[in-house]
Amino acid sequence: MNKTILHLDLDTFYVSVERLIQPALKHRPLLVGGTSDRGVVAACSYETRGFGVHSGMPMRMAKQLCPEAVVIRGNAGTYSKHSDVVTEIIKEQVPVFEKSSIDEFYADLTGMDRFFGSYKYATELRKKIIKETGLPISFGLSVNKVVSKVATNEAKPNNQIKIDFGYEKPFLAPLSIKKIPMVGDKTYQTLRNLGIRQVKTVQEMPKDVIHQVLGANGVLIWKRAQGIDNTPVVPFNERKSISTERTFDKDTIDVVKLKGILTAMTENLAYQLRRGEKLTACITVKIRYSDFNTYSKQKRIAYTSADHILIPKVMELFQSLYNKRMLVRLVGVRFSHLVSGNYQINLFEDTEETLNLYQAMDKVRQRFGDRAVLRASAMGAKTIGRMQNPFNGQPPVVLAHRKQ
Amino acid sequence: MKFIVSSTYLLKQLQVLGGVINNSNTLPILDNFLFDLKQNSLTVSASDLETTMSSVIEVDSDSEGLIALPAKLLLDTLKTFPEQPLTFVVEDNNTVEISSNHGKYALAYADGAEFPKAIELTEPSSTTILGDVLATAINKTIFAAGNDDLRPVMSGVFFQFSPESLTFVSTDAHKLVKYQREDISASEVAEFIMPKKPLNLLKGILAGSESEVKIEYNESNAKFTFDNSELICRLIDGKYPNYEAVIPKENPNVLSISRSQFLSSVKRVSIFSNKTTHQIRLKVAGAELNISAEDVDYSNKAEERLSCAYQGDDMQIGFNSRFLVEMLNNLSSDDVTLEMSLPNRAGILTPADGLDEGEKVTMLVMPVMLNG
Repeated sequence: MNKTILHLDLDTFYVSVERLIQPALKHRPLLVGGTSDRGVVAACSYETRGFGVHSGMPMRMAKQLCPEAVVIRGNAGTYSKHSDVVTEIIKEQVPVFEKSSIDEFYADLTGMDRFFGSYKYATELRKKIIKETGLPISFGLSVNKVVSKVATNEAKPNNQIKIDFGYEKPFLAPLSIKKIPMVGDKTYQTLRNLGIRQVKTVQEMPKDVIHQVLGANGVLIWKRAQGIDNTPVVPFNERKSISTERTFDKDTIDVVKLKGILTAMTENLAYQLRRGEKLTACITVKIRYSDFNTYSKQKRIAYTSADHILIPKVMELFQSLYNKRMLVRLVGVRFSHLVSGNYQINLFEDTEETLNLYQAMDKVRQRFGDRAVLRASAMGAKTIGRMQNPFNGQPPVVLAHRKQ
Repeated sequence: MKFIVSSTYLLKQLQVLGGVINNSNTLPILDNFLFDLKQNSLTVSASDLETTMSSVIEVDSDSEGLIALPAKLLLDTLKTFPEQPLTFVVEDNNTVEISSNHGKYALAYADGAEFPKAIELTEPSSTTILGDVLATAINKTIFAAGNDDLRPVMSGVFFQFSPESLTFVSTDAHKLVKYQREDISASEVAEFIMPKKPLNLLKGILAGSESEVKIEYNESNAKFTFDNSELICRLIDGKYPNYEAVIPKENPNVLSISRSQFLSSVKRVSIFSNKTTHQIRLKVAGAELNISAEDVDYSNKAEERLSCAYQGDDMQIGFNSRFLVEMLNNLSSDDVTLEMSLPNRAGILTPADGLDEGEKVTMLVMPVMLNG
């Protein structure tokens, strides 16, 4: 049986929210993103796009291209609040839905044709969201997630599109290969070098050829170009890893500062693990030098969520990774191989005092926020800390590429 | 060199010795059994450099010789024979010819002098213990020993001999077993850590054995002599952690329960626990024990209630169910006692009955830190 998959995407979400708060900003060019030297554009209004601005671009460059634009730093908390309002509406109206990011939703409307007519139903849902929240939203409706997503992007801004069953291939054919989700800058270049520009060309290629060029990913791209995608709409996405990273406003070689930041990151992530009753078995430390060369190193460990085990391991990895005597631009920590569970106490290494201390600190954080108690060595890092439980099944609330 | 021996008798002895031989050896000679023939007594040895074991076998012969025969080939052949006499004759062309009722088989042998010599213990202290008692002591403790290469001392069993008692301890830092015999004693105080492999061999050989085992030991090696066999092994070097210090002394919360009931409930509930952490939760209030587990990833959940005798404050404690199952399985009593103090301190599991005079078993299990 054919499925009916709806993809909803809030147009220039951060910009729309800012305009909702400050109606004076309507119809004016607007940039949301980092305002520091290293900041990048997280969202830009359609007015600025004419100047060549796009999201992910360094804020400085965007300001040069469009000097009259208003620049706003943005607040993740406000955005997630507005996103939740939209989520509530969708949740009430559709049988199965997936929130794939702060401003994107998939819904499985399969079988609803018999009662309502899916397109009509989706149109009403969109109108309802616009009326109740005041936020512009677009949708694409088709047989699977990939085609719907591409369709939404074609429909934007503030519009809707329906790809009738059987017309997926002709719909994709004239588009640029860049429009296929998964084709980034690198893959785009590789394909362009082969003389491929339109999806049509990929559609006509034999599968083996693209496999030779791009490997297993190529086959997936080829399938997507054919309009084939069987991924289901999953309502709850389990986190596979948690991570933080920090780009400095100014590159640094201050090892004490770097270690302080890594300590703060590890301490915070370990608290997230304990709060979500998770354990990690793999830690990764990432470092980017001022020349943009990025290195990372990972290590398998026994399942744990204890600071006093994780912090030394992170330091150990950092020591072996940081060997260039060069300015550092970014450091980051990631915990992966997560499982549900609590810390197994060690007979010889854990004293009752440490365990009680952890429990007390976690209690304080629960009540007064996750930066309420910190290790002194981690105090220098002012902005490390999450606001939200990462294990609630929601997509991470991050301003996409606020920094480059 | 020539000897005649019963096939099943030889096989029985060689199979025991075969346990010493590793699957892959850096020294090829270690893939062999060493046959040392002196008239009617044949001494067969096997070694992995750490552990060397030898047995004396009675054969019919009037010659002498020292050869090394490939272990796997020999065992595979012997396994197929029904009981019958076998004649081993060393030929000139570096082969041994075995004659059976069915036919003849030739095996290439290596020079016995290449085989590493067994270590001689200098100035050993010694004590004797009944075979079955030693096997029980090993059986009670060895499962709790660790597998961590980074902490080799915990991968063995700690033998603590004194004029008052013999104590055997093993731990992997999450669970600990202490097995004490106050009815047996050694002439002097001694402590050493035995690696797992020779203990597993001894456990297999000595189970149910009524014969005396003589244990000799010095700083670096230990030797076990019994019946017609002896086993020499290198000890694990290092200082055993101070386990006495981590056994909580005051445990006001005492739970008494039927072992088999407790075990089967834990086993059943743990099927529903997380497949990696095997975490279960025990809640005790009044005379009721509530055992529950949850696997959030698959929405699996289980809960059981058992009646028990309990003295102390209501409490909630989390354990890795595998540890509990291993421990409860290892005990043989009808009832067990679980003593606890706090949710983040060790639980102490002891059998309530079924112990011999002077026998004492203490099992410690560390909990997991539950939230709030």
